[in-house]
Amino acid sequence: MTFSSSYLFGLTTFIYMGAAALYLIRWIFRVRKVGLLATFVTISGLVIQTVAIGLRWIESYQLGYGHAPLSNLYESLVFFSWITVLVYLIIEWQTRQRVIGAFTTPFASLSMAYASFSPNIEDKIQPLIPALKSNWLIAHVVTCFLGYASFAVACGLGIMYLFKNRYSGASGGLIGVMPDCKILDELIHQTIIFGFLWLSLGIITGAIWANDAWGTYWSWDPKETWSLITWFVYATALHARFVRGWTGRRIAYLSIIGFVSVLFTYFGVNFLLSGLHSYGSQ
Amino acid sequence: MKILSSTYQDTSIWRFFSSVRLAVFLLITLAITSIIGTVIPQGETLQFYLETFGPNFFRIIKALHLYDTYHSWWYLTLLGLFSINLIICTLRRLPFTLKLCRRDSLSLDSERLLKMPFKKDWETKKELDNDSTQSIISAFKKVGGKSRERDGVDGGRLFLAERGKWSYWGVYALHGSILIIFIGALVGLFLGFKGSVMLPEGETIDYIVNRQTGKRISLGFSVRCNRFNIAFYDNGAPKEYRSDLTVLNDDKEVFHKSIVVNDPMKYKGITFYQASYRAIPEVTVQVSNSDNMQRSLTISAFQKTIWPEEQLSFSLIQYQPNVHGRPAAQIWIADNEGRAGNFWLLEGREREFKQSGNLYKMSLSTAKQRYLTGLQVKKDPGVWIVWLGCTVLIAGFSVVFWVPHRRLWLWIGRRKGRTYVILSGQTNKNKLQLEKDIKKIEEALNSNLGVGQ
Repeated sequence: MTFSSSYLFGLTTFIYMGAAALYLIRWIFRVRKVGLLATFVTISGLVIQTVAIGLRWIESYQLGYGHAPLSNLYESLVFFSWITVLVYLIIEWQTRQRVIGAFTTPFASLSMAYASFSPNIEDKIQPLIPALKSNWLIAHVVTCFLGYASFAVACGLGIMYLFKNRYSGASGGLIGVMPDCKILDELIHQTIIFGFLWLSLGIITGAIWANDAWGTYWSWDPKETWSLITWFVYATALHARFVRGWTGRRIAYLSIIGFVSVLFTYFGVNFLLSGLHSYGSQ
Repeated sequence: MKILSSTYQDTSIWRFFSSVRLAVFLLITLAITSIIGTVIPQGETLQFYLETFGPNFFRIIKALHLYDTYHSWWYLTLLGLFSINLIICTLRRLPFTLKLCRRDSLSLDSERLLKMPFKKDWETKKELDNDSTQSIISAFKKVGGKSRERDGVDGGRLFLAERGKWSYWGVYALHGSILIIFIGALVGLFLGFKGSVMLPEGETIDYIVNRQTGKRISLGFSVRCNRFNIAFYDNGAPKEYRSDLTVLNDDKEVFHKSIVVNDPMKYKGITFYQASYRAIPEVTVQVSNSDNMQRSLTISAFQKTIWPEEQLSFSLIQYQPNVHGRPAAQIWIADNEGRAGNFWLLEGREREFKQSGNLYKMSLSTAKQRYLTGLQVKKDPGVWIVWLGCTVLIAGFSVVFWVPHRRLWLWIGRRKGRTYVILSGQTNKNKLQLEKDIKKIEEALNSNLGVGQ
């Protein structure tokens, strides 16, 4: 079957890598028309990936398993890139700043490339183990990954801010085409607020699910604890800004530290620590 | 934002506990120290830590309770400080918020309105007639919504369209929600319990064992496991663990539920979760004595089966499903004087054995697995308080960040011998929307006042 989900996911990987390259070209060589092409390529990648996710869902029913494609590391990486691209496109549509694409689409293409090319990642559709058989699976994964994706975008914006701030004298060139520091700062803040809400909802849906599955809404499992650590980092960023007036560089740094914590919550816990969430590592 | 607290004694302790600096410090400290418990395995025996980390680290681990980090004295102290900080910050903010809410937004003069961040003004030489005044006001109300009016403000009429003043209380909901969650956790800790039980198929139990203390907790009713079943996918992965449970009250069946992982049984505030299982072998044997008196006995591991007439007891030591293509069982046997022995039994082969001077014959008729279902049992009356806290947290957060307090003013009056119309606005969030609203009113007023065309 050529028109299978795995074929389309492979295609998506190359399209996203192409889109990231186009956004970088748009930024570095300042060819405006390439920017439009980059957006077009990204949107078509998103459409193909959406179809692929839908197909994989259908295929799992054909195999007799019947579950949403959100159950293992491969599927979560695919979903992470999908939702990151979606969050980015919304921001591009609202701000009309294509430079941001050069700093956010690489996250999505890296995620897809890792899912597709790593020999350690099982990409077959697997049946759900009893612990994952719950209506909370979709709500929990979607909310968590909306948070992760927002924080990925915030991190990209934070890196941009630090670039821009470092060479603030440059009016033209690579730095000149970036949005104003003030706009970037506000965007980082808004993205963190958005991500924080979803992370909170992700933790809450996880707690409700855990209460149904394991009989306790909080068991200090490493994954839970790390999501709380991430929550603390972003809560610090919000408080420091709101009450102590931290803006600019400090918030940019916090957006990067926060994303490192997100990455550890996502991958580090799976690979380095053991716990109840171990199914995420296969 | 500076918060004044003239109403409270400004002692240094008060200031310390109410400072946001402390809040930020605590958030960072909690973030960093929480890492410890994810790196060091939790809840192992002290011996384990000594062997894994060596004597030096072991001393630190023991002193700081790093084997149970999140319940250690210093972590709980941090959480306690966090709560105190939250409460005092809230109390200290309260007068400020009350003042904000009681503030009269209609006692302003035209000068102040002209200094607002968003403003637009018109002046005309001629007096405004009643009709155009009315249409200006209705254009303002159409965008601004419900509004209040005061005459004689700075010699004119002042209209105020205010929205979302209550949003100042959002931050109290948000911070209060953390305390609600803590209270819910404490209620669960003191009024609830967590326990577990291994229940063999067909057996009934009216108590469980507390997971922390190891003590028995009486349920007040009994639970019987009718059946345990495990299903597999084609590839051999487990598909479903299912326990068929019946609740009995004074030997009367009162409730029935078949539970699987993610779908527990709730009865009288106590919840039973499918947590684990164990399979124990069970064999049925035919045994006869020298008088040819025959009995059928069921023998399983971890249990004694008694043959009362002969005063013999049996148990299963080992079970092998395949010895030379047949199941085999190692049987333990003892008489009432404590003399014991054991022997192997192969299916299809009768064997003789001697016990207490008598000769017996035994043969293995059937062998099967008998399941024990592992149930997690919990009572937590605080869980609804925790869910309430979570709901308030999300609602409070949304109010704090997305519900703006927006005020729009319209002043119509006379300044320096001319008729003035001033439109101004202020908001604490979403300035874009305010700009749009002002633009909309501005366009309507432009056409009313005959300018901009």
